[in-house]
Amino acid sequence: MALLNTLVLAILSTGFLMVSRRSLDAIIRLYALQNILLALVSFGLAGGELHFVLAGLALFAVKGVLIPWYLFWLIDRLEVSHEVEGYLSVSLSLLLAGLLTALAFRVGEAFVLPEAPLPQGVPVALSLVLLGVLSMVSRKKAISQVLGFLALENGVFLMALSESHGLPLFVELGVALDAFAAVFLAGILIFRIKGEMGHVDTARMRSLRG
Amino acid sequence: MVLYLLVLLPLGVFLARKEASLLVRLSVFVPLLSFLLAPFLLGAAAGPFRLDGVGLFYLLLTDLIYALVALFARGYFAREEAWRFYWAGALFLASAHGAYLAHNLGMLWVFVEGSTLASALLVYHKGGARPLEATWKYLMLGSVGIAMGLIGVILVYALVGGATLDWGEVRSLVGEANPEGLKVAFALLLVGFGTKVGLFPLQAWLPDAHAEAPGPASALLSGTLLNVAFYALLRYAAIMQAAGLFPFSSSLFLTFGLLTLLFAALFLFGQKEYKRLLAYSSMEHMGLAVFALGLGLPWLALFHTLAHSVAKTLAFLAASGILSVTHAKEVGRVGGLVFHLPALGIPYVLALAALGGLPPFPLFFAEFKAVEAAMRWPGLAGLYLFGLGMAFAGLLSPMAQMGFGKGKPLRGQGLDLWILWLLLGILVILGVFPGMEVFKGLEVVLWGK
Repeated sequence: MALLNTLVLAILSTGFLMVSRRSLDAIIRLYALQNILLALVSFGLAGGELHFVLAGLALFAVKGVLIPWYLFWLIDRLEVSHEVEGYLSVSLSLLLAGLLTALAFRVGEAFVLPEAPLPQGVPVALSLVLLGVLSMVSRKKAISQVLGFLALENGVFLMALSESHGLPLFVELGVALDAFAAVFLAGILIFRIKGEMGHVDTARMRSLRG
Repeated sequence: MVLYLLVLLPLGVFLARKEASLLVRLSVFVPLLSFLLAPFLLGAAAGPFRLDGVGLFYLLLTDLIYALVALFARGYFAREEAWRFYWAGALFLASAHGAYLAHNLGMLWVFVEGSTLASALLVYHKGGARPLEATWKYLMLGSVGIAMGLIGVILVYALVGGATLDWGEVRSLVGEANPEGLKVAFALLLVGFGTKVGLFPLQAWLPDAHAEAPGPASALLSGTLLNVAFYALLRYAAIMQAAGLFPFSSSLFLTFGLLTLLFAALFLFGQKEYKRLLAYSSMEHMGLAVFALGLGLPWLALFHTLAHSVAKTLAFLAASGILSVTHAKEVGRVGGLVFHLPALGIPYVLALAALGGLPPFPLFFAEFKAVEAAMRWPGLAGLYLFGLGMAFAGLLSPMAQMGFGKGKPLRGQGLDLWILWLLLGILVILGVFPGMEVFKGLEVVLWGK
């Protein structure tokens, strides 16, 4: 259990670092690391059941390797600066992230179900969800919004692990496939936004009103 | 096994590659084939899939509307860009089939999210700044919303002891689950699927996406996609009912349904673009369907979505016809359609009348029944009527301007306008013979009384 606790705390810190860093490359690497840690947690909870190990490996391949690789390829091809532009300063982001995490730990109690195999994972999962939303609303570049969404999705995944040993295998794979398709589609859209408008700044997309 | 085939069948459209005429024929043939095949599969089960009455009802509705829209799209799209519509449409139809066949709450979620992704491609279509912005907003808001829904699914799974996600089994196990936990789960599910249904205040993507998508795609979004998410809400409402928590979900449904109605009715006023007008009208009617569900009348909610699907498909197809003959997006720049192009103008004006809730159209019947049931709480019924009146008034002036106002003579060559008349015919028949017994039968399937 001590090892699992450490892993869960490490996941929380990757979530925090993703909010505070200003370089896209660093955020993508942190995302990959977060997935490695999540895969380790799912191995730790597997209790020798083979299909858990297989699901963990498949998820690691999709979210730990394939998606980060695609994102790196995307930002190289886009030829935009790798810096994250946001509405908030680093210190303010961190302050908000701290407040949201405190909130998640406060209300997390209510979400913990009696037979949860990893109760300490629940508030961390909620924190990741809230931190993901924070990155999505506080950043201007389309690609950093995608990263925010991916962090949020990892929070949901951790929630599934903590509350009930993960969802059934075929559902888990379906969810991962959806996540990959969403990222792939977002990548295509980002290319088009760049081609059409010459920037990837969603804050400047404001022609639709009312 | 045949159920797996039914999910994959729509992908057969890809066999046509970019051959325009073959694409149209396959896109019409495939849904019609599944329309004919599906009734024989009622009760069949395979893995996470099973087809029950409610799933069959929505499957048939979706296939029928899809076939008509695909046929109409032939005359709407220029040859070279048609393949985008039919390819994205095939992906969308496959995920809608998956959602209606899934008897597993996890698979249901996967296919609902799949339909979001496929329909984002429909919105994007050919690109341009405004559709890009609409698609981006849709993709981001839709994905975040549905992620909240996934947390709800996980909580439900954990609450029934991580034993099963099969809808029927969950429904029978849920009675012993912790009620407080279920309430939290349901609230998250309502946020998740409510975002896709377009419930206020989660609707921000809807008017943009529906207004910027090409006309036939808007018809699919309104007529079929909104139903996919609504169907998920129906399934969870039944679970809450089985857990004895329906009063809790009922009050949420009533509140959000009413708020959505009032907000949409407010925005119907002063809309300059007629496709945006129709988008807000979709929000209004989904709000009404959710309200009917909140009244504890699932059969009425089912009927309302059916009537709305037919009327809105008609309205959006006619609107796309208007756009392609006039090249004007604004209400004020289109006029006198009833005189200058009656084959298009008459069904369009009547579609707006149907959406406004006039008799003899079926939405009148649905709204009348809802008011009747809401009379138990006069305040609620009063607000409902107020919203309806506002929505009707909001539709009235565009209807008068576009139908009977000043305008130029027009020519509607190349469009299959008979499809509009066919939809109008279906609408009138539904209004005159609402077939309440069928829907009450479906309610039993869903509610298990």
